[in-house]
Amino acid sequence: MASTHTAFQVTIANKAQTIACASDQTILQAAIAAGLDYPYACATGNCATCISKIDSGTVALLPRADAALREAQVKTGLTLACRAQPRSDVTITWLARTAG
Amino acid sequence: MANRADMATRRARACAALLAQVHVITDKEGITPSALHAIKLKLVALARRTELFALSDFTMPEAQGRTHPLLLEDNDGHGLYLTIGLPGKEAAPHDHGIWCINAGISGRERNRFYRRTDDGCTPQHATVTQVGEVVVEPGHGMAMADHDIHSTEVVGSEPSVQLALYGYALTRFPSVSWFHPAFSSVRATASRRHAT
Repeated sequence: MASTHTAFQVTIANKAQTIACASDQTILQAAIAAGLDYPYACATGNCATCISKIDSGTVALLPRADAALREAQVKTGLTLACRAQPRSDVTITWLARTAG
Repeated sequence: MANRADMATRRARACAALLAQVHVITDKEGITPSALHAIKLKLVALARRTELFALSDFTMPEAQGRTHPLLLEDNDGHGLYLTIGLPGKEAAPHDHGIWCINAGISGRERNRFYRRTDDGCTPQHATVTQVGEVVVEPGHGMAMADHDIHSTEVVGSEPSVQLALYGYALTRFPSVSWFHPAFSSVRATASRRHAT
């Protein structure tokens, strides 16, 4: 069923592709649904495989493990795509070296 | 009343005694379902000694989950941890490749167990079906064999605090396979077995 929440535009810089992502959806979920090969493993905020840099825009974070993303990292603009729900249009770059 | 240093000493002794008991069991039986059950009972008994694990002695998570090493063995030995998860903290279904046992100190964490249903022949594709559920809370625990698959979620309004005993220390963990029923996918994190 389609989400009734506000949808934002999320640009995946590694792929130069922009997708729609609802405010109750994680960026990873939207990327997978759009057929993008975004790097991930746990998808629940534990492993940091999907750690990414927010180039612009704001996100809200779902619960995660300290070891995956610390508050100090959040303050520098890092996020976990599997935990990040957009609160504006967002441009994001994944940091994994194994995909892309 | 014991001071903080005294309590840390008592905690360390209790954890070392637990590990010694674990070795008595595994040296005799190996890692069998009955051995894991026997170890679970001992871990639950240790978790009941709540005076040893006062939250004031441990840093709370700055996000939603934190693991504190209590006793780590060298080389390929076991790892014993105190884990704190805040309400909502979750982990997707995963197989961490090594046995583990949890026992509740306070709060509640729901563990769901799964069985893989695909043939494993398609890379990064997997399907799983739920086969059981256990809530780890005070007086209760759960035991998993090497390749059992489980998911976790802290439920209720208070932090889940548990003892967790793994066949290997977390820093020497094998590859963990994560299953995602919504995507019919499986992804693995790298093994730490040969990390320095």
